[in-house]
Amino acid sequence: MKRFSKLAIPYIAWAVLMLLLPMLLIAVYSFTDQGNSIIPFTFTLDNYVKFFTDPDFLLILWRSILIALKTTVLCLLLGYPIAYFIARCEEKTQNLLILCITFPMWINMLVRTYAWIGLLSEGGLVQRVLSLLGLADGELLYTEGAVLLGMVYNFLPFMILQIQTSLSKMDYALLDTSADLGASPRETFRLVTLPLSMPGVVNCITLVFLPAVSSFFIPKMLGGGQYFLIGNMIENQFITVGEWNFGSAIAIIMAVIMMCLMMLVRRIEARNEGGKGERP
Amino acid sequence: MRQKKRPVGKFMMAASICFFYLPILYIVIFSFNESKSLTSFTGFSLRWYLHMLESHGMMSALYTTFSVAVLATLISTVVGTLAAIGVSSSRKIIRDLMEQVNNLPIMNPEIVTAIGLMLLFITFQVERGYTTMLLAHIAFCIPYVMLSVTPKIRSLDPNLADAAMDLGASPFQALTKVVVPQIMPGIISGALIAFTMSIDDFVISYFVTGQGVRNISILVYTMSKRVNPSINALSTLVILIITLVMVLVNVLPLIMKKRERRDELTPRRMVVPAAVALCAVVAVVAFLSARQTDTGLPYAGQTLHIYNWGEYTGENILSDFEEETGATIVMENFDSNEQMYIKVANGESYDILVPSDYMIQRLIEEGFLQELDDSLLDCWDKLDENCLDLSYDPGNVYSVPYFWGTVGIVYDTTVVDLEDLEAEGFNIFLDEKYKGDIYLYDSERDSFMMAFKALGYSMNTENEDEIQEAYEWLVQCVQTMEPEIVTDEIIDNMAQGRKALGLVYSGDAAYIMTENENMGFYLPESGTNLWTDAMVIPANAQNVELTHVFINYVCDYDGAYDNSSYVGYTSPNAEVMAELSGEGGDYEGINAYLPRTDNENDEVFVYNENTKKTLANLWSKVKIEASNAN
Repeated sequence: MKRFSKLAIPYIAWAVLMLLLPMLLIAVYSFTDQGNSIIPFTFTLDNYVKFFTDPDFLLILWRSILIALKTTVLCLLLGYPIAYFIARCEEKTQNLLILCITFPMWINMLVRTYAWIGLLSEGGLVQRVLSLLGLADGELLYTEGAVLLGMVYNFLPFMILQIQTSLSKMDYALLDTSADLGASPRETFRLVTLPLSMPGVVNCITLVFLPAVSSFFIPKMLGGGQYFLIGNMIENQFITVGEWNFGSAIAIIMAVIMMCLMMLVRRIEARNEGGKGERP
Repeated sequence: MRQKKRPVGKFMMAASICFFYLPILYIVIFSFNESKSLTSFTGFSLRWYLHMLESHGMMSALYTTFSVAVLATLISTVVGTLAAIGVSSSRKIIRDLMEQVNNLPIMNPEIVTAIGLMLLFITFQVERGYTTMLLAHIAFCIPYVMLSVTPKIRSLDPNLADAAMDLGASPFQALTKVVVPQIMPGIISGALIAFTMSIDDFVISYFVTGQGVRNISILVYTMSKRVNPSINALSTLVILIITLVMVLVNVLPLIMKKRERRDELTPRRMVVPAAVALCAVVAVVAFLSARQTDTGLPYAGQTLHIYNWGEYTGENILSDFEEETGATIVMENFDSNEQMYIKVANGESYDILVPSDYMIQRLIEEGFLQELDDSLLDCWDKLDENCLDLSYDPGNVYSVPYFWGTVGIVYDTTVVDLEDLEAEGFNIFLDEKYKGDIYLYDSERDSFMMAFKALGYSMNTENEDEIQEAYEWLVQCVQTMEPEIVTDEIIDNMAQGRKALGLVYSGDAAYIMTENENMGFYLPESGTNLWTDAMVIPANAQNVELTHVFINYVCDYDGAYDNSSYVGYTSPNAEVMAELSGEGGDYEGINAYLPRTDNENDEVFVYNENTKKTLANLWSKVKIEASNAN
């Protein structure tokens, strides 16, 4: 196989140009305040100082993280039982159910989010049903609830598929063994099923939390112009304000936070796996 | 394994399926709706499908989406597979490094990858458009292909290819006949992931596109502000296409399997129908979106690039112009002057722009425009003199008015007291009687104009104290009044009477008032912004002659009438203006249609670089305050 290593060379060049260089460019832009031309380059930390010294920006960052956290928890609470249900069906039913869940994912995310505007707006189906049940009066669209709903709607399928995959890889004989050894179904779930599906759950955090933090079209479409998350801030800096240096700095801050988070998650995961081996 | 009834699980499963399919069902049903309403179904009609087929942007968006997806999938699958083979057979350090680099687009938030690519294209001065979108898609698809191919290569016997070559195969044969068939399942699943990623992509496409090239995502994002059921029609078409592809992929192999009585279902057999289906789709869409050009016409084969506001042209003006001249129009839309400026300042090439007054002044000052060629224009004596020779372009050396008007308050006459309006003017936006019942317009220029005028200052003030005071006025508004800050959504929402008060452009107000007779339009005595949007030619325009033909066409009676009657904004063509506002005209009795020209507090915006920057930053902060207030 060694002679095929030549095949890697063009791709390495491409990857450096199209994947690595863009990241370096963002970093370069974020450390200068020369506007949209970066030559000659003068180093400054002003963009970062500007972000971290303004409580309003920090509050936006915090709220983005918070809503992503809420989305992840909700997806987990809804997704786990559904995935568990699917994983315990017969194989044919399983395939059918998986198809049912993947199908909407093939249809453009924005198209599906756009539909929620009509469903949630005043006089729309959801609003009418809820007010018939006496559950909600007042506006649904352009609220935090609408944004949360949009996020759960878009990211829940990823969660279900991921957990289902790790659950169906599980050896079900273990469950019977556990029951034979006298564990109640609840204990079996807590002591056997849950730990075994943990890698899937951890993976979900990357699949749900990450895109939720940086999402900007869901808040914009369902939250309205007065609902601002960190992704909207970056879009705003690049598309309307035109301050690319500051926008790049926000992007770098977000990317670094995400990277730290991922490393933390991986460390926890590694420790869990290591811990399992030590147990008798 | 014990099977139980599991009612809770069944319920959750059913509920989640309903949840996932509700929006899809909604789209399909409402695409057949007779009326424009997004909330109630009034009857069956195919008008939105006709609208979609006639719409310039929609069919080409469909074509862009599918052709980019197919090309990006093909290229990234081939390149990704070869690269994966190459990298896997390289030294460990290269393998590890490449894994890290490939992880960049997978692990980074999409918006980071997107702005990185955008900065890359801008730094190397690559004109953004279809090619850059395709390149970007290939760039983020390859890592996914490699991710799914690499494990398959790792599980291969490393001596396999060598054995083939020892037996006389050339390296190419060893690769295509031995290695590739072994890793086929990985290649196919990689291709599927690449296709899904590409067809669903919004963020990256949005930042790297240009020249009016839009895929479906970008189209929905930029059009979703106005109620436009054609989006539902287009979406239904997409749903139909995807369903067909999915059915073909899932069902055809089953049928073939039965017919051939072979027991194993090879993934390769899934690929053939899928590929055939996709190619058919692309061909059909390409056919639908292709426009035949008549070579006998004077400008046949030429292209005119227009950069205009969204929803700012008449129903037929573009297609009529194309029919008469043989030229092809490519129109790209912006939703703020600033968005347009950034693109123009970064060297994107258009033939015509339609910015507002202060922005025209800026573009002139910074040398981005070229002078009009008066010998090619025959429009001047048709235009109303109130919108000519204004301070932003004295003598109209660079610009020809497109629409003009004022900014005022649209109010629900059944809720708002006219007396309150007369007494308070713009300060009604601080009157807690109307708390939670107001819209602000998401534009620093108009919002600060409102604040300055409410406080009795000039809207062109450079005085820092006055600016600070206006900023505080706006902060007080967003903190105490719970406003919704919107852009064009305001038009349909006010037309449906959702809120009592909104800051609205006069042209949109005219439309709102024709839709809802309870709505009134009020211009505070303290003055407002008298604005003009005008056509200008960028210095780097490529087709100057055709541009002048188009300008004449827009100013001429037919074009001006179509524009103004359809969009609702005031035409600079004096005859059209008189006719539409006169007896029997579309805007008879609607005070918003005729701009106020007799109040000396009304002003035209003047561009000032420093103030502009200050206001832009302060407005961002007002929005953040609004966001943090609730």
